Amino acid sequence: MNSLRTHLRNLGGLAAAAGFLLGLASPLQAFPIFARKYQTSCTTCHTVYPKLNAFGEAFRLNGYRMPKETEDQIKQQPVSLGAEAYKRVWPGAVWPNELPGNAPVAVNVKMANVYNAATDASGNKTVVHNDFQFPQEVNLFAAGTLGEHMSFMSELTHAENADGSSSVEIEHARLDFDSILGPEHAFNVRVGKFAPNLYDGFQEMWIMTDNGVDSLFNYNPIGFNGGTGLVADDLGAPVIALPARVRGLEAYGVLHHRFFWTLGVSNKIGPGGNTIVTGPGALDNNPANTPTGVPNGNFNNSSHKDIYLRFDYKFGGMGLDGDTEGVALPPENWREKSLRVGVLGLKGDGTGIDFLVTDPSGLLVDPSGASFHMQDTSYTRGGLFASWVYSDLNVFGVYLRGKDSLQLRSADNLTVLTESDRTFNAYFVQADYVIAPPFQVSARFEKLTPADATVQPLKTTNLDFTYLAAANVKLMLEFNKADQAGVGSNKSINTILRAAF
Amino acid sequence: MTRTILLTTLGLGVALCAQAGDLHGKVACKGIRNSADAVVYVAAIQGKTFPAPAKHAEVDQKNLVFLPHVLPVLVGTTVDFKNDDAVLHNVFSPDACCSRFNLGTWPQGQSRSYTFKNECQATLLCKVHPEMEGFVVAVPTPYYALTKADGSFDIKNVPDGQYTLKVWHPKLKGTQKAVKVAGSTQVDFEIAR
Repeated sequence: MNSLRTHLRNLGGLAAAAGFLLGLASPLQAFPIFARKYQTSCTTCHTVYPKLNAFGEAFRLNGYRMPKETEDQIKQQPVSLGAEAYKRVWPGAVWPNELPGNAPVAVNVKMANVYNAATDASGNKTVVHNDFQFPQEVNLFAAGTLGEHMSFMSELTHAENADGSSSVEIEHARLDFDSILGPEHAFNVRVGKFAPNLYDGFQEMWIMTDNGVDSLFNYNPIGFNGGTGLVADDLGAPVIALPARVRGLEAYGVLHHRFFWTLGVSNKIGPGGNTIVTGPGALDNNPANTPTGVPNGNFNNSSHKDIYLRFDYKFGGMGLDGDTEGVALPPENWREKSLRVGVLGLKGDGTGIDFLVTDPSGLLVDPSGASFHMQDTSYTRGGLFASWVYSDLNVFGVYLRGKDSLQLRSADNLTVLTESDRTFNAYFVQADYVIAPPFQVSARFEKLTPADATVQPLKTTNLDFTYLAAANVKLMLEFNKADQAGVGSNKSINTILRAAF
Repeated sequence: MTRTILLTTLGLGVALCAQAGDLHGKVACKGIRNSADAVVYVAAIQGKTFPAPAKHAEVDQKNLVFLPHVLPVLVGTTVDFKNDDAVLHNVFSPDACCSRFNLGTWPQGQSRSYTFKNECQATLLCKVHPEMEGFVVAVPTPYYALTKADGSFDIKNVPDGQYTLKVWHPKLKGTQKAVKVAGSTQVDFEIAR
């Protein structure tokens, strides 16, 4: 028990104080499945994978179909599971559908040389290494269409960790029902585990960097005075900032070519496997299961759901559904002159879910050594975003404000000790520039102002140079620097070789 | 002599007037792989009927495919549905214009027949193999043609006159045009979903 608590304290301290030192969320990659299906290059849809150009964005929003797709464009004929006319026979026969002509799978392999140098608050070097992570990650993708109104996507990621362990995660697994009501593209529904359209592709499909936008997605709002900083995904610690991926049900669509909407309901994010959950308020009251803290067998840990929505509009350039009527576009398919602006919001209720409480010094415990608990009884997130494309330059960013109503509870979970409302702010702005199609650069600045006023903001700078050796092979040199006054700083220079096939 | 020349000239003129022409042209099918399988036909001509042909038409089932994929016939034609596969096949149609016929199931080497008594665009399905699909298009006049992959069609021996020319396609929306046939006449169409 004590050793576990010590371990957790260490993890909590690491997560709270130096979480940004760790490799956090990575962006999604490309699906060469469609290159095969349409016998076309990756650069039809990607500026440099995974960053989508306007056509690729339309392809994605159309349920992995080309705008105004024709049969001629599909080079791998689908397998019919029933003639079209069987629709008229239903329910006398099964509704007809199609399968992709070939196994719709693709592989991404990532090799990384990681150089990391960190200093603590006193300026002492704490971590220095130069590590061949060959491979760092392998992703197995499956994606495609199933007839006229269904599509699917899944991603299985296998990662090898520095401590010798490895992990496998289903990062995405979703089914989409496309254009099922009203005009084409107006109403689509997806179900599964996916990156919600709440934020479209800030983390997944808009950025070309290897490092994700962690200040937006990996903030932990739980703490004695509110959240103190980032946490790492692999610690299984509580993250209720913006969900990078959800298990949920989402409706979305494009209206009049340029207006995008989405409305979703999803599981909230639970306390994770590292949280000790005890006491009458805990969901898993079986003493035999504590202190593992494994929740009650459900992903959600309570019956409450998060609700999110987003609206945005694109001025100029290609329509969000690929419409080009009345628009003059250059032959270089990454170029256009456009501005996309939007708002997003999320609301959730974490009542009944106990999190361990940390402050910058680590896990909070009572004199007996028992951990205090905290519940996030109401959390809201609101944000604005914009993306401006001017020829070879794309500047985009997001501002996010979060508010959490926190209840500090005694270790036995019976008494509410304090109640407080805390707010945090996070934003990033990124500029991507195409020097020439094989050579692209990116610069991003992120700032996170935690809810805990006793800790300083976390500032992150990320610079990337990418050489697209071939449409499906890229070499990246990426510099990342994160600073938090009073905590320390971290620099990393990663050299990454990535291939998709 | 003059009278003979006059009569000959008049006779030739009458013969020329009664001579049949042909209708040809192209159907451009937008958004699909090629422009084959469109049926171009002259719509019903008021006051004229055409006897059903005694000879049966034929649709084969081979390698789990209806051959031909689209078969235009004159109303009243009997179509024999063969089975050239080593597996059982069935043919039925969900369309009311052919009384939603179902010919049952039969083995290789046998055939079943159905007579298309009405104008009809009959979808052919096989209950044993749901992916199989074919069409019999029963049209009211013997002036019809099936387009080739490039969309071209040629309808021979159409008497000169005013007609409605229709186009039907298994996947695309049909269309029609009023045409005046006078000798060799060209008509082009464009159809889409």
